[in-house]
Amino acid sequence: MTRTLTYYPGCSSQASALHLDRSLRAILPVLGVELRDIEDWNCCGASVGHIEGGHLANAALSARNLANARAQGPEDVITPCAACYLNTHYVNESLRADAGLKADLNEALGAVGKSYDGSLHVRHVCEMLATDVGLEAIKAKVTKPLAGLKVAGYVGCQTVRPFADTERGNHFDRYDDPSFLDNFSRACGAEAVPFKRKTACCGGSISVMSPDKTLHLIKEILEEAKAAGADVISTPCPLCQTNVEMYQPMINQKFGTDFAIPVVFYSQLMAVAFGLDPIKDAALGMNIIKAPALAGR
Amino acid sequence: MTAPTPSRTYDLSFARYVYDHIDGGQRLKLCMQCGACSGSCPIGTQMDHGPRKLFMMIRAGMKEAVLTSNTIWNCVSCYNCVVRCPRQVPITYILHDLSALAIEEGYAEAKKADNARFAKAFWWSATVFGRTDERLVTARYYFSSGLGEGIKKGMANQAIALAMVKTKRMHLGMPHKVKGVGELKAIVAKAAEIQARHGKEG
Ligand code: SF4
Ligand code: SF4
Repeated sequence: MTRTLTYYPGCSSQASALHLDRSLRAILPVLGVELRDIEDWNCCGASVGHIEGGHLANAALSARNLANARAQGPEDVITPCAACYLNTHYVNESLRADAGLKADLNEALGAVGKSYDGSLHVRHVCEMLATDVGLEAIKAKVTKPLAGLKVAGYVGCQTVRPFADTERGNHFDRYDDPSFLDNFSRACGAEAVPFKRKTACCGGSISVMSPDKTLHLIKEILEEAKAAGADVISTPCPLCQTNVEMYQPMINQKFGTDFAIPVVFYSQLMAVAFGLDPIKDAALGMNIIKAPALAGR
Repeated sequence: MTAPTPSRTYDLSFARYVYDHIDGGQRLKLCMQCGACSGSCPIGTQMDHGPRKLFMMIRAGMKEAVLTSNTIWNCVSCYNCVVRCPRQVPITYILHDLSALAIEEGYAEAKKADNARFAKAFWWSATVFGRTDERLVTARYYFSSGLGEGIKKGMANQAIALAMVKTKRMHLGMPHKVKGVGELKAIVAKAAEIQARHGKEG
C-alpha cells in the first residue's frame, strides 16, 4: 500500500542535515510512503525564533506552513526534524485548543489572503514509521542485515519531549526511555547496545552558540556510547547528529579524550540495510566521521 | 507586550502580567515548588536560579530580578522539566516567553546574552530569506560582539567549518530563499502588530 503524506523537510535539510533528507527520500518510497513537500515551506523558528520575533510572530511562521500544507490537501504533515516537529505540532495543537490564538493567527494569515482551519495532523517521521509502517514492514525490506554492528540509539530530547507519551503525540513511545530507535536498529539486523543517555540533551542551539557551556553534556553521551562498545551512534535528530559529531575534536582537546565515534541517522542505517546505494542513497559520504563498519557492507 | 514597570522590588502587578500574558502563565499559579524541574535540568549548574526559584520570584513580583536572570537564557529547551512537572506547568514555554519579554523591555543583560544575539541573527535569516542559512546566521552571530571576537570565534571553529564544507553540509552560494518572502514578511508583521495590540489591552 502506498500512502502519500505532506512533507516538511526543515531548513537543516538543505545544509547540515542533507544526509537525513537524502536518506529519507531514499527509504520512504521503499516503505510505501510517497512525499509531497509543503509548497514553499519556511523556517519554523527553531528554539530561538520567539526571542527576537515574539510569541505570536514566531507562531505565525508555522501558521504559514500549515496554511500552505492544508491548501495542498488533508494528508498528515510529517517532518523528520525535532524542532520543526515541536514547533509545528505545538502551534497546530495550540490553535485547535485556543480560539483566540486561532483568530489571531488567521488574522495574520489573512494579511495575504491565507487561512488555516486547524484540521491537519502534524507528526514526526519516526512516529509515522513506528505506528503506520511498523517494524515488520521495515524488516521485510532488509536485504543486507547489519549483522554484528553495535549501535547506540541516541534519541535526543525534542523528538520525544514533550509530546511522545501523550495523546497529542499519538502515544508513540515513552518520553524518558523510548524504544523506537533501538527497534529500528534491530529491524535492520544490528545490535542495539544498552544506552541510558538516550534522551539526554546535546545542548541544542546553546551548543551551537556557546559550546563552552554544554560540551560536557556531549562528552557524557560519547563516553557512554564508547563504554558500551558502540560502532556507531544512531540518532533521528538533525541538531543532535551535528553537535555530537562535529564537536568530538573540540571535546578531545578540552578533556584529553580520543573520541572518533561515527554519528549516523537511523535512515542511513535503513538505507544500507535495504541494499540501497551507500553514497547516493545512504549519503554516508556526508558524515564527517566516517563509518567503515557501515560503508563497507 | 509591555509589563508594568515596578516602583518596588516586589510588585505583584508583574506576577499578574505573567499569569495573563505569558503562554501557560496561568498554570504558574499551580506550581507547588517541588523542585522536580530544577532537579532534572541538565544545565542547572549553569543557571543562577533555575526554574523553581524563578517561578517563586515571579509570584513574589520580582520583575527586575526575573528578567535579568540567566536562567531564561541558559535553558537548552530539552523539555525534561515539562514532562516531569507534577502540576503540568509548561516550564520551557514560560522561560521562552520570558526571554522575549526581557528583550522587548530592553534589559541590557538580556541584549548581551549569547542566546539573544544568536536569536537576532537567526530571526534576520528566518524573515529575510524565510529559511535559516546556518552559515550566515553563525557568521552574523560571531561578529555580533565585535570584529575581534568574531575573528576569534571564527578561528576556533575553522576546523568544523572546513569539515562541513568537505562533506557538502555547508551551503555555499546564494542563500536558499522562499518564493513568497514578501508574503511571509506581511504575515509576520501582522502577527507582531496583533501582539502589540494585545499587550496594550492587558
Ligand atoms: S516541577 Fe512544576 S510544580 Fe515543581 S517546582 Fe517546577 S514548576 Fe513548580
Ligand atoms: S527545558 Fe530548560 S529548564 Fe527545563 S530541564 Fe531543560 S534546560 Fe532545564
